[in-house]
Amino acid sequence: MFFLDDLLLRSLGISLPGLDLIWTIEQVQKFAYKGFYNPEKIKNQIKETRLLYEFGEIDRQEYMQKNSELMHKLELAEKMSEMNLSSKMDILG
Amino acid sequence: MVRRILRGERKESEALAKYVYCVIPYSQEKMSFGNLGFDGGEVYTIDYRDMAPVVSDVTFRDYAVNEEEVEVHRKVNEAIMKDFSVIPVAYGMAFKSRKLLQIAMSAGYPAMQKALQVVDGTVELGIKVFLPKELEAMDPAKRDECSADFIQNLLAVSSDWKKLKLFSDRLILNAAFLVDKSSIDEFSENVGRLTEKYNELKVQYSGPWPAYNFVDIHILGGKRRGFR
Repeated sequence: MFFLDDLLLRSLGISLPGLDLIWTIEQVQKFAYKGFYNPEKIKNQIKETRLLYEFGEIDRQEYMQKNSELMHKLELAEKMSEMNLSSKMDILG
Repeated sequence: MVRRILRGERKESEALAKYVYCVIPYSQEKMSFGNLGFDGGEVYTIDYRDMAPVVSDVTFRDYAVNEEEVEVHRKVNEAIMKDFSVIPVAYGMAFKSRKLLQIAMSAGYPAMQKALQVVDGTVELGIKVFLPKELEAMDPAKRDECSADFIQNLLAVSSDWKKLKLFSDRLILNAAFLVDKSSIDEFSENVGRLTEKYNELKVQYSGPWPAYNFVDIHILGGKRRGFR
C-alpha cells in the first residue's frame, strides 16, 4: 500500500481536491488551537484578571471563577505544548 | 532519653526537603524567624560561608502557581526584609536535601555576592498604570507621553528601573524601580503627585519587594521546581 503525503503531492505540483480540503481544515484547526491554547496568552489573561480584581472592576466571586477557568485552561495548554500535538509523526518509518 | 529524641527530631528534619525563600548576608548560628513557612513550618537560616539561605522543611513536591502559596512565600520575604537585605529566590524552589542546597549555594556563591552589591540597602517598588474602560481607546502618543512622564519622575529617586511586560491592552506602564530604603518616602510622594496629575487613570503602587527584577541568578540549570 502506498501512502503519499499531501506535502509530497504539493511539491510535485499535484493537487487533489479532497486532500486540499483536509489540508485546509487541518491548518484552520492548528491556527485555532494555537490561538486558544497559547500558554503565554493565557498567562497574560490571568494577570489581567487579577488586575481587574485589584482595581475593583470585578468582584471576588467573578475573579475566583475566571481565575479558576484560566488556570484550568493554562494547565491544558501546557500539557498540549508538552505533547506537541501539532507535529506529525511518521509511524511507518 | 532526651538526647535520643532530639537526635530523632534532627534526623527527621534532615530527611525533609528544604524550601528556599531567599538568601541573606548572615554568617552566625541558625536564626529562626518563627513558624511562617508552608504548613506552619519554622523558617530558619542554614549557614553557608557568609550567606544564609532562609528555608523551611517541607515534603518535596511541585509548587504550582497557587495564590495562597505564593502569598506564604511573599509574607516570609516581607518579614525577613525588615531586618536584612534579601537576595530573592523565585517561588517554588525546593531542594530535596540540605546537601543539594549546599551544592547549589556553592555553585551560585560568586553570583550571589555580586547580587548582594545590587540589593544591599535597596528595595523594589512596582508601578502599573492602567486605562479605565472608558479611556481604552486612548491615543498611542498620549499613552507614551504619560508613561514617559511616570518613568522620568520616578527614575529621579531610583537607582535603576526595569520595564516589565504589558500583559493587557489597557496597561500603559508596568515597571519595577530599584529604590534605596532611605528614598522610599520620596518615591511615594512622587507617585502621589503623578497619581493626582493623571487622576483619570488607575495607578497601582506596590512594594516594597525583594529586588526580584534586578537579580537574575540561575543555578544548576535554573530549574524552577527545584531538584529531585
